[in-house]
Amino acid sequence: MINHHKWIDSLPKAKKEIIETINQLDYENPLNEIPKKDSYSSVKKYTLLTVIFICGLIFVSIVKNETRNLQKEINNLKASINLIKFNLDQTFLDHEIITTPENISLLAKKYLDIDLAPYKRSQIKQLNDKNEKIVKINKKEKTNTQKYKELYSRPKSIPDKIKTHVASRIKEKKVEIVNIYNEPKSLVTLERAGRWTVIQLVKALLGIPTLPGR
Amino acid sequence: MKNKKKSFYFDDYAESELNDNNKFNIVKVSLNKVTFLSFIFFSLIIIFGIKIIYLSLSPEKSFVNNNKKKEFVKTRRDIVDRNGSVMATNVILYDVGVRPKLLKEKEKKNLLIKLGLLFPELDLNKIKNKLNKEDFFSIGKRLTPEEKDQFWLIGNKAFVFDAKPSRIYPQQSLFSHILGQTDDVNNGISGVEKFFNEDLNSKEKINLPLSLTLDSNLQYLIRKELINAETNFHNIGSGAILMDVENGKILSLVSLPDYDLNQRVSISDNIYTNKITLGVYELGSVFKTFTIAAGLENKVINSNTVFKNLENSLNCDKYTITEHDKLPKDLSIEQILVRSSNIGAVRIAQKVGIEKYKNFLKTLGILDKINFDLEEIGTPLPFVWGKCKLATSSYGHGITTTPLQLARAYAILGNGGYKIKPSILETKRKPLEKKEQIISRKTSDTVNSMLRKVVSLDEGTANFADIEGYDIGGKTGTSQKYNSKEKRNTFVSLFPTSKPKYVLLVMLDEPKPAPNFLYEFPPSKKFPNGYKHKGEIRNTSGWNAVVVAGKIIEKIGPILAINNLEASIKF
Repeated sequence: MINHHKWIDSLPKAKKEIIETINQLDYENPLNEIPKKDSYSSVKKYTLLTVIFICGLIFVSIVKNETRNLQKEINNLKASINLIKFNLDQTFLDHEIITTPENISLLAKKYLDIDLAPYKRSQIKQLNDKNEKIVKINKKEKTNTQKYKELYSRPKSIPDKIKTHVASRIKEKKVEIVNIYNEPKSLVTLERAGRWTVIQLVKALLGIPTLPGR
Repeated sequence: MKNKKKSFYFDDYAESELNDNNKFNIVKVSLNKVTFLSFIFFSLIIIFGIKIIYLSLSPEKSFVNNNKKKEFVKTRRDIVDRNGSVMATNVILYDVGVRPKLLKEKEKKNLLIKLGLLFPELDLNKIKNKLNKEDFFSIGKRLTPEEKDQFWLIGNKAFVFDAKPSRIYPQQSLFSHILGQTDDVNNGISGVEKFFNEDLNSKEKINLPLSLTLDSNLQYLIRKELINAETNFHNIGSGAILMDVENGKILSLVSLPDYDLNQRVSISDNIYTNKITLGVYELGSVFKTFTIAAGLENKVINSNTVFKNLENSLNCDKYTITEHDKLPKDLSIEQILVRSSNIGAVRIAQKVGIEKYKNFLKTLGILDKINFDLEEIGTPLPFVWGKCKLATSSYGHGITTTPLQLARAYAILGNGGYKIKPSILETKRKPLEKKEQIISRKTSDTVNSMLRKVVSLDEGTANFADIEGYDIGGKTGTSQKYNSKEKRNTFVSLFPTSKPKYVLLVMLDEPKPAPNFLYEFPPSKKFPNGYKHKGEIRNTSGWNAVVVAGKIIEKIGPILAINNLEASIKF
């Protein structure tokens, strides 16, 4: 056996501690002195890094796929927006062409029976006169209705002719009402709808409110 | 060597040297292999990782491009009127071409049969020749998507479709003289399209339309009346301009004949020139208003001045100046204008003098080229001023200008004497902008009241424009065309004359007497039982241009929302 102390004491004091540690090494089996712990930790470290990296790759590919799907969706939406925009532009252009003054006046000529003309004072006066006439007519109608009321308050005194006439009128009206309830769509004809649209367009052109209001 | 040294100190260690070395070598080799494999593994991972990152970041070119193709990108700004109605816009139109080389003889015959069935308007003989001789030829230009689809549905491989952004004009010929046209590459070649070409191509403003001061409804009504005038008075052309006297904004500018802007035809005939901005004409008695205004402004006359013993005619060089009708010998300033006296106008101009008269016309911008928003601008013809020139100019003969400049001069007289710049471009007016007064308010007011009398008095020359409620004033002008017996009749009106808002100029080119036209007025203060007069052989402005102007004002009045005095009367 080597006498450690014999050798160590002969060395300078400063290196004593180092030499002591050296002497504590297992010289019998130097393999034991290979830093086992370090090699283990580095492998673990690399494995961990690899796992993280692979996870990262998988994550990236998932994100990438999702992004691509989203991108596709965005592009599809953009395409549909473009299509809608294009259609809107076309419709807007159609509207512009349909509502040109020339076209409106052509439509008015075709569908309207009324001859539109600027009003004049004289016409307003006539209108006023007519109003007066209407008021007079209304007065006449009032007196007539009074007579009818009196007549109908005594039903027995009503002549047979009037009774049959009224009965036939009531029958006709009943038939009309039944027809309307059975086929309400028949009220809205294409001709009526067309005429209404043209009137609204002409009103819009002349600045008259299209729908009556305050 | 090191091991050998160690063995010097540690004998036992030295003994086992060989065995230990072998073990170390085994460990070293195994570690090197692991490191090498790891290195390759990591290298591969890094390479693939970089590739994946690169792929993730790079855009999917093909997909994006496919979608971009569907997007319609505007290349030129729209043009709209003051109400926002589109006057010009861009759409995609298609040119269809044929490559005959791609077809066999049988296929060519089949194609001809299909074309004949689907497009009977095509000249099949021409197409047949082209199919046999040419490598490529065009079969349709500026086709709509629907028209293009008709060709596409034939399903022939020889068809080549070329989509092009093209300019279209929904109002067709309504604004043809103002808007102008563009060429095949969308650059303006005339009118607004040319004048504002850079602005219209500006990419920053591409989604903002270019807004004009014009009004489609007013334009339509005025154009319609001018077309009616052609039926009634058989004139070969006409023009009209409606301007706001306060700011020079032009609400309507019509020149007939016009043309459909969507039909690309090269127009070279002079008849298609813009009569309002490019045409330079002698406009006749409408200049008398300026003569009187010059006299009032230079204080050589006043509203009470009366010219006595006026001659029936005047001689100047070889020319004789006469009156158009029998007029009283003594005429006041007002009567000179109302009755349109030539001799009276000459006398006033002589009082004003050449320099002052010339300067006055210059102030009104009659003699120089006008600065306007169109390329098509006429320059008044220059001449040498002299005594005779002064005399003839006083009643509008021997002096030329454009109707646009004439309308501006009347607008200045009507608005209190403030300078204005006519414009068709809608701009926001700066609130602190000061107006330059070039004519006194007094002169303006006096002239306005006189112009009203030209229309309202029985002896006035413009009675047919006295539409009740609109307080119209104006001056007629009848001039003979150079080297021709034909006439050019003009009427410039201001309304309402109590505080003028608009100036309307109507000009008829070569009108004819209208023996079958029914001149009529509805019952009014002036004509309680109405007025009807069938046919007239006189061919002066008062018998045609004035009638047309009256009808126009009657139609556009409600749109302009002038306080119609007639309508405001309560009953």
